[in-house]
Amino acid sequence: MCVTRAGRVVSASKGKARVEFFDGRALDDVDISVVNAKKGAFVEVFGNLALGILSPAEARRRKEVWAEVAKAIGEVRN
Amino acid sequence: MKEEGVLFHAKHAFMPNSLGYCGPDERGQIQRDLERGKTDEELVQTLQKFEAAYPFLRLIARSTGRDVFDYSVPEAYWIGNELLRKVPVTEFYSFSHHELKGRDPARVKEVFRKLEGAAPPHHSFYVMSTYATAAVPDGPNVTNEAGRKIAEVIDNCRISWGTVRKIWDRELQVEVRPVQIDEGSLSLAPPAVKRVRYNPEVRPFETVRLGDVVSLHWNYACDVLTARQVKNIQRYTDADIRLVNRATKAGHSRE
Repeated sequence: MCVTRAGRVVSASKGKARVEFFDGRALDDVDISVVNAKKGAFVEVFGNLALGILSPAEARRRKEVWAEVAKAIGEVRN
Repeated sequence: MKEEGVLFHAKHAFMPNSLGYCGPDERGQIQRDLERGKTDEELVQTLQKFEAAYPFLRLIARSTGRDVFDYSVPEAYWIGNELLRKVPVTEFYSFSHHELKGRDPARVKEVFRKLEGAAPPHHSFYVMSTYATAAVPDGPNVTNEAGRKIAEVIDNCRISWGTVRKIWDRELQVEVRPVQIDEGSLSLAPPAVKRVRYNPEVRPFETVRLGDVVSLHWNYACDVLTARQVKNIQRYTDADIRLVNRATKAGHSRE
């Protein structure tokens, strides 16, 4: 299933972007045309579509959440 | 029973994982095990690393007293069955805040408030409610092009179903009813045909027949559905759409 993930646009061209997510992964083909994101913007991505732009403060909060997710994934096996 | 449940879950989790949208980078292993038709502890551990799908299974399992990979549990989550009604909304609400990470808590809270306790832990509801919980610019008043893209991603990410009309080596032509967004409301569009991929080495696709109804995830045929499952996925999808439209009706949740 898809997870709503937050990350930063590290390069953008013609409505597509490479987004590096706070969970350490990246996608090269994120469609940013709906939110018109620019390089450096923090975005909320569902599947391969950016649905929202996050403020730096909100992005920081999401980054903390993803750190918790990474920790939780290590615990779910129990 | 557990092996059936693990395989059913893996079939539906495979494609978004393969595309890099969720879960660990283990698509080779998942595909191998699906083709073998066998499960092992390694596959179970891989499926436990999915950030959202596995927590949902745990929620349904603990609320209904079943094993996480009892077939009925992933079936409830991906397709829909009577177990969904047995998950107390208070449990789902608490789960959405404490176990399901990555979403804006204020928006999640607002969706629950608007639905007054009617939210089900069903995958399609989770997907469609993203429309209500993400910071979509202009909310339901998105332009036609943005609305089309949002509807397309919702349609790909939910589990949909299609009736097989043509069969090729590794592709099927299926008749589907895609999600559309019209004046801010979600609905199912009239029937249309599209091509989707399938793996003939994954059971029961070696014997897939015209007229079979298959579950679909990201343009990939996951499984052949029984008549009961077809009835359920239609029923629960309709309910999800009604709920999400209700959540967005009083104004989009953008803050």
